[in-house]
Amino acid sequence: MGSARMVYDEDCRAPAISMHIPDGYLSPSTCATLYVGAAAGWYSALRRVKRVLFTRVVPLISVFAAFSFVVMMFNLPLPGGTTGHALGVTIAAIVLGPSGAILALSIAIAIQALFFGDGGISTLGANCFNMAITGSLVAYASYRMIAANSAIASKRRVVAAAIAGYLAVNASALLAATEFGIQPMLFHDAAGTPLYAPYPISIAIPAMMIGHLTFAGLAEAVISAGLVAYLQAADPALLRGTSGLAFESASTEVRVAGRSMQRLWLFIAVLMLMTPLGILAAGTAWGEWSPAELAHAAPPATVATAQTSAPPAGLQRLSNLWTAPFPAYAPTFVRSRGFGYLLSAMFGVGILLALSLIARRLLDRNRRKGYAS
Amino acid sequence: MSALFELREVSFDYDGVGALRGLSLDISLGERLVLLGANGSGKSTLLRLLDALCFPSKGLISFDGNALTSDRLQDDNFALPFRRRVALVFQNPDVQLFNPTVFDEVAFGPLQLQWPKEQLLSRVNETMEWMGIAHLRDRPPYRLSGGEKKRVALASVVVLDPDVLLLDEPTATLDPRSQSQVIDLIQEWKGSEKTVITATHQLEIVEDIADRIVVLEAGLMRANGTVADILYDHELLLRANLVHAHRHTHGSVTHSHPHLHSHSKHEH
Amino acid sequence: MSRGFLESTTVGFARALTRTMLSEQTARERGLLQALDPRVRVVGLFALVLAVTLSRRIGVVAALFATAVLIALLSRVSLLTLAKRVWLIVLGFTGVIALPALFTTPGRTVTAVVGLAITEQGLRTASLLILRVETAVTFTTLLILCTPWVQVLKALRALRLPKEVVMMLAMTYRYVFLLVETAAQMFESRRSRTVGVLKASEQRHLAGSTAGVLLSKSVALSNDVYSAMQSRGFRGDVQILSDFRMTSWDYIGLLAFLLVGGLAVWMGR
Repeated sequence: MGSARMVYDEDCRAPAISMHIPDGYLSPSTCATLYVGAAAGWYSALRRVKRVLFTRVVPLISVFAAFSFVVMMFNLPLPGGTTGHALGVTIAAIVLGPSGAILALSIAIAIQALFFGDGGISTLGANCFNMAITGSLVAYASYRMIAANSAIASKRRVVAAAIAGYLAVNASALLAATEFGIQPMLFHDAAGTPLYAPYPISIAIPAMMIGHLTFAGLAEAVISAGLVAYLQAADPALLRGTSGLAFESASTEVRVAGRSMQRLWLFIAVLMLMTPLGILAAGTAWGEWSPAELAHAAPPATVATAQTSAPPAGLQRLSNLWTAPFPAYAPTFVRSRGFGYLLSAMFGVGILLALSLIARRLLDRNRRKGYAS
Repeated sequence: MSALFELREVSFDYDGVGALRGLSLDISLGERLVLLGANGSGKSTLLRLLDALCFPSKGLISFDGNALTSDRLQDDNFALPFRRRVALVFQNPDVQLFNPTVFDEVAFGPLQLQWPKEQLLSRVNETMEWMGIAHLRDRPPYRLSGGEKKRVALASVVVLDPDVLLLDEPTATLDPRSQSQVIDLIQEWKGSEKTVITATHQLEIVEDIADRIVVLEAGLMRANGTVADILYDHELLLRANLVHAHRHTHGSVTHSHPHLHSHSKHEH
Repeated sequence: MSRGFLESTTVGFARALTRTMLSEQTARERGLLQALDPRVRVVGLFALVLAVTLSRRIGVVAALFATAVLIALLSRVSLLTLAKRVWLIVLGFTGVIALPALFTTPGRTVTAVVGLAITEQGLRTASLLILRVETAVTFTTLLILCTPWVQVLKALRALRLPKEVVMMLAMTYRYVFLLVETAAQMFESRRSRTVGVLKASEQRHLAGSTAGVLLSKSVALSNDVYSAMQSRGFRGDVQILSDFRMTSWDYIGLLAFLLVGGLAVWMGR
């Protein structure tokens, strides 16, 4: 899924898995929604970064964006004899903090889309939302939580970077897969032809996640760990800003990052929790289906049943939990398994975020107590 | 005549290391000063201090009677005229060529200083003609040769008609023709009111471009004198790692002593 | 034998660089797009990409593709170049992705291949997807081929994109080439010192250390660039020079773009 690296990779046997979604895979309303989400992320990131970095913003973010761009080109050899591409989002979050990473990655993605044809224009918001924004936030939160207050040069930080990278890439991939997966169910013509990405959640999520759980996630883990290890030896000052440790110059940055991060996390958690409702609303609001269409459409439940592999029983039961409460007059698709998976996925991510928010709150409270004493 | 730049006991620490220690120096208007020193001697740091890109950890620098402090440089009324009057050409031109095209690069300074458009355009075109880079107008910086980059970098500061030019290793990594072009340029400013301060380790060019020489070694000022004073003090130059003393041959005699390979024969 | 990490990455660098060379050439030709104000080009071509996304009928998207080909011809862009660099590649990748949809999309069976049923809906959705991606990428490529990137950025600025964002886009693009060159040089020197093929773990280590050196250089570079900007009077508020002037032809061109786009959306609803 997603566009392959048509610019950089000549002879990839399996299309190099990348998450840059091209034009045509997502409906206009999906694109618009994600643009709005991305714009919110960009706006707050820019404000935050300017406040901390003042006039340094332009050169620092630009050069880091260029660096991320180059890292995305590395065709990394992975255990098992395959290769993969990293995103560079984790190291950006570790060195620049989440807001800086959001900006740097967004700029790199924009340049790839505009000048190198990697990723679409209508899907720029989606790509930034998935990779730059979600990726940075997940990477930063995971790194901070796992590394905790360990010393700058400790091995724990290297491991934290690896895990953070793996999680970040897979979180982005999960989002992208979900965006693909809801397309056929929400956007199809009267005959049931999907108008955009043609695969339902039950196919989209496994198809995309397999590639990322194995290749891309590992690639990001490898490069993030490698870079942190390198910096520990060669330039540890770069790791101080997000270390959570008390340093003279870094402390204000960390505290600013800490406070605002929580608000951003809260925003995203709420967003995710509310997404099931959001999808319903989006669908009706855009008038994508008229009553006539619904009457004639082959019940999209069959979309889910047309799969070649049976869904795990546990997931089935979980999805029934979701669809059961919906009243009888709701459109039929709501009762489909596909929709149920979607809601599970969304809610799952939302729960994870809420949990990490709570964890952060507790961590902060402990740290503040530490300072006071 | 009061000095243009006055430095009193200036020290600068970088990451715990003393890059400059206790430097006191006066620089007069219209002087052509050369800061002579090997890499790491502190000359680049000194140039940046003179351009108020960083500020001393101890001591005081003043320009035209005004102290150069970080607060002072926040005040636009002081900062803008200062930026126009004092210009620095960096050692690595890639650092200085951060605009999309040559034209944009040369126009950057005047744009930031908010010159009116007509004046800006004519001045930029004039400067590009003078530096011989008008034909490179729309070229992006990554498609320029080393010599071309250097000329664009020079043009980008000369366009502002600064009173003080700070040059950091202007001829390093240049081919002979480009080197001589740069030296010609510096010599053009001799006798004018422009103050030129050049940092270099290349002894061969010093004679042509200096009225006075300051020798730096490991952050300390070792000597401060005329060309004649410094260039023939071989012991000093050897200590400051500016000359070598390898074995060499004259006719049938082989010996070693401090010397440099310049276009004037060295003495025995 | 799979290409080593060093080689394949270096190849990637080279291709990225040659792509921009091609842009600069085509931008100098005298064709339809080149004659229009850059702002009109940006708005017009983006509007057509939007139209591609909004249309729901294959016929309309196909018509938009034909429009793209026509614009290419009028702008002196070689169709062969487009085919090699865009169409075939997109067909390859999107084709692979769309292929299973022939079988997995439920609906009326049209034919069967090795026992698997291909549905009418499957055929339509696969064609629609491929056609959409091809057309959209063609429009974007035309913009970049016919417009120097500096003009694209200035057009975006004129269309109200924030100053800092435009400046960051410009600076990032410019320094991408420096970093790519630096990385390529590091790889070259490593390759020249390598006998035989590196083990995968050695390759990973190399990747990490190359990226590390590149990172340190990047941060140092950004600090130096910042000093250079300050030295020439930069105080945070960027001034950008651009003088785009719209002629009547530009207005006509803009109108034409919007009409075509609007028509496509209306007919494809």
